[in-house]
Amino acid sequence: MAASSSGANFKVVLLGEGCVGKTSLVLRYVENKFNDKHISTLQASFLNKKLNIGGKRVNIAIWDTAGQERFHALGPIYYRDSNGAILVYDITDEDSFSKVKNWVKELKKMLGNEICLCIAGNKIDLEKQRTVAVADAEAYAQQVGAKHYHTSAKLNKGIEEMFLELSKDMLESGSADFLGGGSTSSSSRKSKTVTIVDDDSANQNTGGGGGCC
Amino acid sequence: MSFTSTKKKPKKATFHVDEKELLCKNGCGFYGNVAWQGLCSKCWREATLRQREAQIKSDEKLARQIHEKEEALAWGNRGQRPHAAPNSSTPDDVSGQMGGGFDRFEEKKRQKIQASSRAKQVKSMLSKSIISPNRGETPAQTQPHPNVQRQLSTESREASVRFSDYLKRLSKPMADDLSKSCREFGEKILTVREKISIDEVVEKVQDFYVDITGRIYTHHIYRGLTATQQATIIDNIEKYLMTLHYRELFSPMDTDDEQKDLAIQNRIRKLRWVTADMLGADLEEGNLLVSQLIVKAQTELIEMNAKKAPIDKLGCIVRSSKIIFQILQTSQDAPASADDFLPILIYLILKANPPQLHSNTQFITRFSNPSRLQTGEAGYYFTTLCCAITFVENLDATSLSLSQEEYSDYMSGKIQPPQTVEPICEGLHMMYNNISALEDLRVRQERLMKNAREFSDEMEAWKQRVSSQVEEAITSKPLIKKRYSKQPVNLDHDFGEETKGLPVPMEPQKVN
Repeated sequence: MAASSSGANFKVVLLGEGCVGKTSLVLRYVENKFNDKHISTLQASFLNKKLNIGGKRVNIAIWDTAGQERFHALGPIYYRDSNGAILVYDITDEDSFSKVKNWVKELKKMLGNEICLCIAGNKIDLEKQRTVAVADAEAYAQQVGAKHYHTSAKLNKGIEEMFLELSKDMLESGSADFLGGGSTSSSSRKSKTVTIVDDDSANQNTGGGGGCC
Repeated sequence: MSFTSTKKKPKKATFHVDEKELLCKNGCGFYGNVAWQGLCSKCWREATLRQREAQIKSDEKLARQIHEKEEALAWGNRGQRPHAAPNSSTPDDVSGQMGGGFDRFEEKKRQKIQASSRAKQVKSMLSKSIISPNRGETPAQTQPHPNVQRQLSTESREASVRFSDYLKRLSKPMADDLSKSCREFGEKILTVREKISIDEVVEKVQDFYVDITGRIYTHHIYRGLTATQQATIIDNIEKYLMTLHYRELFSPMDTDDEQKDLAIQNRIRKLRWVTADMLGADLEEGNLLVSQLIVKAQTELIEMNAKKAPIDKLGCIVRSSKIIFQILQTSQDAPASADDFLPILIYLILKANPPQLHSNTQFITRFSNPSRLQTGEAGYYFTTLCCAITFVENLDATSLSLSQEEYSDYMSGKIQPPQTVEPICEGLHMMYNNISALEDLRVRQERLMKNAREFSDEMEAWKQRVSSQVEEAITSKPLIKKRYSKQPVNLDHDFGEETKGLPVPMEPQKVN
């Protein structure tokens, strides 16, 4: 409450399969540490980051989600009412990228275009073992209206930039919760409208984008 | 004339009712009613009240008589003390009369057992007639105030007291304004609750939150407050209102919350066999610290039902979640992510089976301040809890990575999971730990003994080997003693030039 009166509050969900490095990514961003023994927080599932963008105070609440396959169906409960989503995949693991595609489809179905999407190809320090082609990933991101970033928690690359851009996007889309309760009821009511994305056409497009493989 | 009059009379009787017959039989001047046996409403009420009181009195009398008879019967059976005081307890009396020798004591004991069993029989036979006058008393006592306000529970009263205490600390205009709007809102809720559905109530409550928040942010009497102070005011209002109207708003009758509570409770009961491993939760249940923390976290989850305000319920969830992170901390160094957290929460829910789970989550969703649920930490843990509940509701073979057959076998109780040491209580748990520690010690002790024996054998063998080698060496190289030929040395031998400077050797002198 205290924060909401002085700035914008955003909820960002972090989606991605088990070992793609979601935790490392967010810890690098919030604590600027990687695999460090001296991390002050006990948990990386819910973290806050305060930013100042063009004189506007922004508070981002980063919600980690359980990425195991068995919890996949719980996604909608997590990303209900969220302003942004970061979808993380491992560039050395093609499976994790197809998971991202699933999530994007779901998010679009549930929240329509009200949510700002980011796709992060993580672990670019392992460029040599890359199995997800850069062109494919970027083409896919563009097609679904998401921004694509190449990140590495280990080398601290691309992460700061990604969160900053996402925050700017969220500010622009104006879905921020400025006054706590005030806009909440209206925004939650708005989100009840379901936008249906034609899965088939999306698939065809993906096929066209990644036609080489 | 007489004929006509007699002809008219029955006519009159059928169609005309004399005013006297309409009046109250008590003669109070008001009109009576056939339904009230010809009395007016006031007299009728008095009469029935009197009658009821008389009934109660006679019932009481009857009950007393029965009680006395029963006592007399009980004591009469013992052949003593027919006028026993009804309150004196039997064990005292027995001890008081114990001086009479062992035989008498034995007999009394027997009698007493008989008597008490008979008394019990009589009591159970008459229990109805004894209880009914007591029941009759309560309405008789509340009768004088039939329009008394609804009874406040202790918690609600405490909440009111706490809230008014809190208001006293604020400045006068603020306190007045807040208490006025809260009171108005509370009354509004109470009056409309009967007529409108819970969803409409939710809308009204949420609108009220928005209104009061807006008022606190903008109205001039609240100027000069810090953001934290404003937040506390809003929290306190929420706490007060929700505790006060908990009974109307929690698990309301016009929803299926209660059925869903039961459904989830049964569901969890059926899933008792699910282990932490099946959920993919990394738990060292044997560890004493971990099992203690598990119990603590479960207690917090169960405690949630006892709290009234949404903010307090959320507090329980947050505390429980923090304990889960402590549990995770025991097995890993890195901060825990949702991947680790969610399975453990699910496991705890299955173990704890918190009461009225669905009603509680619904209550929080409906009546908590929405900003708390949306972005705050409590909101995250609450969402995760909702996820866990959904998971439990939809759980099937694939979500536990079991085959369909295994799953149905577990569900029907055909097979039991490999049971880990289930600590029933702390003492038992410590016992298990001690047993395993002792077992470990015993194994080590045995190994030590075995090693010691081996070592001593080895030493023995070494000793023998050495001695045999020595023996061999001795035999192969026998000791041959050569004769030592002594060569005489002439001490006075002239060493030539070397001894030239030396004094002459002393010669013994004979002393007289």
